[in-house]
Amino acid sequence: MNQKIKQKIAFFLFRLFSFFIVGILVSILGFIVINGIGVINWDFLTKSPTEGMTAGGIFPAIVGTFYLVIGSLIFAVPLGIMSAIYTTEYAGNGYIVRFIRLMTNNLASVPSIVFGLFGMALFVNNLGFGDSILAGSLTLGLLTLPLIIRTSEEALKAVPDSYRSGSMALGASKLQTIRKVVLPSALPNILTGVILSVGRVSGETAPILFTVAAYFLPNLPQSIFDQAMALPYHLYVLATSGTDLEASRPMAYGTALVLIIIVLVFNLAATFMRQRLNKKFKQN
Amino acid sequence: MAQKNILGKFAEKFAESLLTVSGALTTVAILFITIFLFKEGFGLFKTPAIEDGYGLYVNSENPVSQLRPLDVKNMYDEEITNWNAVDGMNQEIMVFRIDDVFDYYSDEDLGENYSLLPEKLSHIISDHKNIIAYVPKEFAPSAVQGVKEVKVLNNSLSDFFLGREWLPTATPSPLFGSLPLILGTLLVSLIAIVLALPLGLGVAVYLSELADERMRKFLKPVIELLAGIPSVVYGFFGLVVVAPLVQKAFNLPVGETAFTGGLILAIMALPTIISVAEDAISNTPRAMREASLALGATQWQTIHKVVIPYAGSGISAAAVLGIGRAVGETMAVLMITGNAAVIPSSIFEPVRTIPATIAAELGEAPSGGQHYQALFLLGCILFLISMMISVISDMISKKKTYKSV
Amino acid sequence: MLLYAGSLNAQRVKGSETVLPITQMAAESFIKSHSGSDITVTGGGSGVGISSLLNGTTDIAQSSRRIKFEERKKIKFAGNNLREVEVAFDALAIVVHPSNKVSQLTREQLSGIFTGKIKNWKEVGGEDLKIIPYSRETSSGTYEFFKESILKNKNFMSGIMSMPANGAVIQSVSQTRGAIAYVGLAYLSNKVKAISVSYDSGKTFVKPSVKTAKDKSYPIVRPLYYYYLSKDEAKVKDFIDYLLSPAGQEIVKKTGYVAVY
Repeated sequence: MNQKIKQKIAFFLFRLFSFFIVGILVSILGFIVINGIGVINWDFLTKSPTEGMTAGGIFPAIVGTFYLVIGSLIFAVPLGIMSAIYTTEYAGNGYIVRFIRLMTNNLASVPSIVFGLFGMALFVNNLGFGDSILAGSLTLGLLTLPLIIRTSEEALKAVPDSYRSGSMALGASKLQTIRKVVLPSALPNILTGVILSVGRVSGETAPILFTVAAYFLPNLPQSIFDQAMALPYHLYVLATSGTDLEASRPMAYGTALVLIIIVLVFNLAATFMRQRLNKKFKQN
Repeated sequence: MAQKNILGKFAEKFAESLLTVSGALTTVAILFITIFLFKEGFGLFKTPAIEDGYGLYVNSENPVSQLRPLDVKNMYDEEITNWNAVDGMNQEIMVFRIDDVFDYYSDEDLGENYSLLPEKLSHIISDHKNIIAYVPKEFAPSAVQGVKEVKVLNNSLSDFFLGREWLPTATPSPLFGSLPLILGTLLVSLIAIVLALPLGLGVAVYLSELADERMRKFLKPVIELLAGIPSVVYGFFGLVVVAPLVQKAFNLPVGETAFTGGLILAIMALPTIISVAEDAISNTPRAMREASLALGATQWQTIHKVVIPYAGSGISAAAVLGIGRAVGETMAVLMITGNAAVIPSSIFEPVRTIPATIAAELGEAPSGGQHYQALFLLGCILFLISMMISVISDMISKKKTYKSV
Repeated sequence: MLLYAGSLNAQRVKGSETVLPITQMAAESFIKSHSGSDITVTGGGSGVGISSLLNGTTDIAQSSRRIKFEERKKIKFAGNNLREVEVAFDALAIVVHPSNKVSQLTREQLSGIFTGKIKNWKEVGGEDLKIIPYSRETSSGTYEFFKESILKNKNFMSGIMSMPANGAVIQSVSQTRGAIAYVGLAYLSNKVKAISVSYDSGKTFVKPSVKTAKDKSYPIVRPLYYYYLSKDEAKVKDFIDYLLSPAGQEIVKKTGYVAVY
């Protein structure tokens, strides 16, 4: 009897914990959606901030985030895929590969502020790019590189060996096999990883604090050497700077909501894509 | 046909070497980061701990010829008021800054372009045996009888790692005692783990042992969504909702505390802990479970006496990774812990963590200066912690695979 | 998109959180009348602005404190000439929670409070309540100015809470009964209570306002600066002239600061 009661209690607690987690998510999302939904309208999304950031919109921040995301992908995706191709197709299973995987894991666990520190030292100061979209994209690219590598590796590994041996048997070289058979097959899964990293990069603040972020840009950035506004940084300054925090608060909620929507849409898209692809593979 | 083949082969070799090089990319990145951080950071120990371009001068009869940065700061803050506290003579310390010269002389007395300033300063210093003067080297009293320069020692390892005061812009001597920051970081992470581990484990058990397919399909996206929320949004939520709540609930003078930070960090670390732990738990072989049940144990007994110990290494990996996530968090902590650089005496007081310090101060530290170097040193600490976490969790999961039946 | 440094009149202003609202509003209206120009505004604190000026990553450093001797030297050393322009005046207001009974404090008392020597409100005529002082980050010109003027260059108490910007300070003070903090005049609101300050050991106490800042009867008044290098004069001249023009000074007043004339 004692054991049965213990079990009932334990299981009840665990069930409770799980609902608690759902509750946390609901309260955070609810907090932002309820307060932010009234702020979002066409003007909000397409105009610049005015009246000392208490009115207007967040268009430049949206554009800035867009530029930074594209920039980071330009650096991380080709290099990440190539790196993954090396470790899965060429390097075998010896010490070198294990070491490279360890290094990739290490890079993945580096805190985002350290990327910001490094990015500032190398791209902004040392290489002289200054506060710029270029510096910010490089820093963010570095941050998201391990994620792209990991998901690409998994995608490549999931391609059945039979594809490879079939292609080689037909006389194709290794490179041709990779280009024409393995890569296209792994592409959907690789894409999932890219989509995931879009969600990740859009929300990062620390790496852009000292490499690109600006408080206010009356016009959009004209070149990659310009600074840019960005959604997460915009939320931060709206929540802490400005003469009238109360008046800026609605803008902050709106920014938070837009940010959350972008991040969640991409995260969910990646998750569902992954689920559907796994189903397809299982069917095969 | 042969030509095309050679060209083709060349292109292939080129492409393959490109791939090989890119394989080394992450290794190179880690190498670069390490070199940059450590080179800049350890430069701190090579520079004297006084503001660049300034010197400290005393009367030549003063037996003191060198001072630690902490002493200089205490003297100028009037925490130390007698020379005998720094092995000098038994006399009250007279603190002097360059602007004080106008208490003795008028602007005209100092001549055109302050050309007479060094001379006047020498007078003041040689007239007062107990003076200590903080003046720019440019106007330094020239090697005159009655005046001697006091050397300020470099920041030592113990000054940095064990120093209890973080005053990066203090003059004459900034203090870079990182102990409050290190302890603040550890405290907040500890609170986060203490809150998140039981909660996360419970949910992991629920997910892998108790939930039906529908619940699982529902909960997994929920956890992924929690993981995807950006740090600054958590910070915003914490600032506007949680901090006032904590303030009311615990009747505190202020809501921005280590506890509030730990609370939010716990939520942020949960997804990591849950997914790694759930993975470990569901990988327990059915054979072990069934054996236990066959012996008459209840499901709960099976879970906590058989499954969880078996998954122990995976669960430890989850905890370690959760700690890693908490330690490195910047924006959320910056917005809700009050950023007070003090050794925490209770969890309900504001603290300052390492990532928040870097984020708050990096912008204003002039490139290459002491403050800049100190921030890099803090970055080194963070970097090392995250490396250790990554390696430890790697080692723990390797142990697990060998243990599998 | 790959053109270096964008359009001809692109300029970057970085630095003080205190001056930030002025610059942002001025940039907003300047762009309206001067199309083709582009002004990027970033905050972070006066220290960030001056440091960026030294690094060459900004054209104008907005600052709420005078540039330090050291920083001046670095600029000279790099072969550049510094230009300083006063664009507005600011009074540093001391604020407490609206429910706080204390309405006046001397400089000595303020110094004692912010260096941690005075710990309870009852020591300065208030109720038995722990004093919670708030400060700004070390990058803030307001922080440096307060340290120099009120603390006479002594250090703040270790363990003082550091807020990233004036707005955050007001937010925290309005929620904390025992709080005391310092903010720029423009940030005063009815969420906090400004107290009168005496710099002559209690003989006269003056409340901060635009009027008392203008006639200098309020003791804690400071200029707000724009710093730039002489080689960038052509680039920044138009915007700075605009800020110093009657239209620009209207913006200064509108934001809550004191005009230079």
